Amino acid sequence: MFLLLPFDSLIVNLLGISLTVLFTLLLVFIIVPAIFGVSFGIRKLYMKTLLKIFAWATLRMERGAKEKNHQLYKPYTNGIIAKDPTSLEEEIKEIRRSGSSRALDNTPEFELSDIFYFCRKGMETIMDDEVTKRFSAEELESWNLLSRTNYNFQYISLRLTVLWGLGVLIRYCFLLPLRIALAFTGISLLVVGTTMVGYLPNGRFKEFLSKHVHLMCYRICVRALTAIITYHDRENRPRNGGICVANHTSPIDVIILASDGYYAMVGQVHGGLMGVIQRAMVKACPHVWFERSEVKDRHLVAKRLTEHVQDKSKLPILIFPEGTCINNTSVMMFKKGSFEIGATVYPVAIKYDPQFGDAFWNSSKYGMVTYLLRMMTSWAIVCSVWYLPPMTRETDEDAVQFANRVKSAIARQGGLVDLLWDGGLKREKVKDTFKEEQQKLYSKMIVGNHEDRSRS
Amino acid sequence: MGAAHSASEEVRELVGKTGFSSDQIEQLHRRFKQLSGDQPTIRKENFNNVPDLELNPIRSKIVRAFFDNRNLRKGSSGLADEINFEDFLTIMSYFRPIDTTMDEEQVQLCRKEKLRFLFHMYDSDSDGRITLEEYRNVVEELLSGNPHIEKESARSIADGAMMEAASVCVGQMEPDQVYEGITFDDFLKIWQGIDIETKMHVRFLNMETIALCH
Repeated sequence: MFLLLPFDSLIVNLLGISLTVLFTLLLVFIIVPAIFGVSFGIRKLYMKTLLKIFAWATLRMERGAKEKNHQLYKPYTNGIIAKDPTSLEEEIKEIRRSGSSRALDNTPEFELSDIFYFCRKGMETIMDDEVTKRFSAEELESWNLLSRTNYNFQYISLRLTVLWGLGVLIRYCFLLPLRIALAFTGISLLVVGTTMVGYLPNGRFKEFLSKHVHLMCYRICVRALTAIITYHDRENRPRNGGICVANHTSPIDVIILASDGYYAMVGQVHGGLMGVIQRAMVKACPHVWFERSEVKDRHLVAKRLTEHVQDKSKLPILIFPEGTCINNTSVMMFKKGSFEIGATVYPVAIKYDPQFGDAFWNSSKYGMVTYLLRMMTSWAIVCSVWYLPPMTRETDEDAVQFANRVKSAIARQGGLVDLLWDGGLKREKVKDTFKEEQQKLYSKMIVGNHEDRSRS
Repeated sequence: MGAAHSASEEVRELVGKTGFSSDQIEQLHRRFKQLSGDQPTIRKENFNNVPDLELNPIRSKIVRAFFDNRNLRKGSSGLADEINFEDFLTIMSYFRPIDTTMDEEQVQLCRKEKLRFLFHMYDSDSDGRITLEEYRNVVEELLSGNPHIEKESARSIADGAMMEAASVCVGQMEPDQVYEGITFDDFLKIWQGIDIETKMHVRFLNMETIALCH
């Protein structure tokens, strides 16, 4: 028993030393830069190395597939149907022309062949439609060494498997604990920091401290996710008294935007850890948190937001008008509430690069904790943020048109598809008003012609 | 490896039965899984998840066509409760583009199949005839979205079209002759000599693999 003692103390010493070294490294390379907002460029180097490895991996897989004389599954992000840009009227006229031997008869009315058009359109939407594919994760062209994105399992050679295994080891045993430690540090610093700042009397000093506490903690969280963010056009950053509007892909969007600017958040009061964080944050800075019951009352929400915005000294509000998470290949309908308030809107486009880790939160598939774990075991989160020039509502447009204008600007900048559909379709059905549109168009065509005929 | 092997066997079988290429079958399988929520069969309710389909006025007829036993070649009437992937492909195969390499006889066969699919859509009670009632039903559905069209005008449009169809099929009718309905042969007669089947196919994108850029 006594012989073990020197070994015991040796092990304890070793453990102690390695932990201290780790902690110092953490502090020097990650936390201190986060406080001051500088970067060593380690993450960019990491990203470049990873890209080279991914390209090599895809090449190996293609070689493997060719050897077996198969073809690799390549996802077709443009869909599998060649959609014709002709309109309803043109198509039906063409069908009737080719079907009617009485081609000189210029008074078309309902014909059996009209059903062809709708039948085919129906089949095409069943095969492939623009909306449903926005609610599942985007598919990648090349493999990024994560088993969750691999569709060509049978073409992996031994070397690739070893590489993948190495990747798993690095991600789960090295990166994950590091990230969890950082996240923990970041969140606790946020809670403690904002609570302490909350005790100070209101004034410029409090604001200054609050801003820096918030920024510091968000930057630590950004490093906790190994998020490599490129900000473009920073001169257009939102100013006080405005509303910042962005497309929504995941809860991480908040962290990404808030680590580069000081915003007032809007949201529902949650329970648990989120609730603790929310309550602490609101002590230092006037965020707008709504009770669950208040969220349903649109007028109350609008009233509170308007009050906040009218006070020019208050921080810009951060809002995600889509209302739900979309998979970052498109921008869906913006809810008009935030555009009715009448403040200056600062649009922001966020585009994630899915090669390093898919940031989309599929809330029907994964809960919050699973989602965070998936985030922390990906390689990195790489994204670009564009600050667009501010927009105001013009006198002759209403809130919906203004919302659509902002949405198009964001979609164009981010290279996303601009859809008119409502993100709420993730969970609900199409509103009847949309259904009637196409039916009206078709029936107008027939009845219009029918009336012509009876008149002549 | 065993799973991959038997999967490609199945795909080969399906290629033979339905005429789609293996690429297209893989794509459609992915779509099937998306629609069915990873279940092995689809029911009518699963089609509610396609928002674009809601815009289509004959949505219910299209969905019904998927479960129609006549289209599934499982019987001469009635509806199935659920369909598996092979049934899904069978229905989709009615919309395959006509292969230019096929001979005249095969083209005629394809054409007949496509027209039969349409006939089944009109003939909802499976009695082999499109009666005036069924015809009216289709026209009303197509025009149902417009609140300005009364039922009466929809009816008169349908009646007028039916009369024309009758004159093509039966010629001049005696005053007391009752036209029972359009049979499938009459239906074919209406479309004789006119190649409408070019409008009855889904245009698949060319699915060649993207060239590797070294």
